Amino acid sequence: MPPDQPTGYLIVSAVLFTIGVVGVLVRRNPLIIFMSIELMLNAVNLSFMTFARYLDSVDGWIFVFLVLTVAAAEVVVGLAIIVSIFRTRRNIDIDELDSMRG
Amino acid sequence: MHITATTVAFVVLAVTAVLSGLGVILFRNAVYSALSLILNLFSLALFFLLLNALFIAVVQVLIYTGAIMVLFLFVVTMLAPDAQDTEQRDPIRWQKGVAAGLGVILAGGLSYLLFNTVLSPAARASAGDSLSKTVDKFGSIQAFGMGLFHGFLFPFEVTSVLLVVAILGALVLGRRASRD
Repeated sequence: MPPDQPTGYLIVSAVLFTIGVVGVLVRRNPLIIFMSIELMLNAVNLSFMTFARYLDSVDGWIFVFLVLTVAAAEVVVGLAIIVSIFRTRRNIDIDELDSMRG
Repeated sequence: MHITATTVAFVVLAVTAVLSGLGVILFRNAVYSALSLILNLFSLALFFLLLNALFIAVVQVLIYTGAIMVLFLFVVTMLAPDAQDTEQRDPIRWQKGVAAGLGVILAGGLSYLLFNTVLSPAARASAGDSLSKTVDKFGSIQAFGMGLFHGFLFPFEVTSVLLVVAILGALVLGRRASRD
């Protein structure tokens, strides 16, 4: 399948994206939710690379490069937020973080 | 369909990627999840190699499995003792089942869409500069550089602003509140 049509790569990408979605829905630990978001970003990266290869265009590589940069920035800020929540509350279960509920 | 080395590599990588992806969301211990995610990102880097993108594969290993996951492991080991026992009780009991069902529906829908999609020759023709020609002529890194510095120079420069903002944000959030 791989040399002719991109279907195989795209199926793997779809499965990984779904695993990420289920992880965000199911887990309560914000660190693991973060990892699931990374999983989704990477699944989309795999789609970009596949389309770059099969549409014969370099644009997909640039998108992946920019996604990598944005993911790095997002992880740095997100982990800093989680650490500072942990400092003030000693607990990072997301079900407990409802102090802004209206 | 005869079996080629590429097909074997693809199947092995696909199985590794899906299993390690499942590991990320199924392990109780967050450290095991992080290690599983490292394996997943590494197998994606090998996928990129299969797709002829040497530079992106190297960048993936350096940035993701290197820098980002080290940061993740650092924070996980710093916060892990409290993170363990919070997942024991389950306030919403039906949540896992519903999420799994919705996941199956999503995967099914996406797969249905993908199986019925064939890249048309028109789409191939309309994509701009021919990548394979550039790769054959100059190699993959040069092709990437040409694309980045000719068509995408402005987004590339904006990226540096984004990184500065992220550094400042992490510094402000990570600083201990001094006196107030």
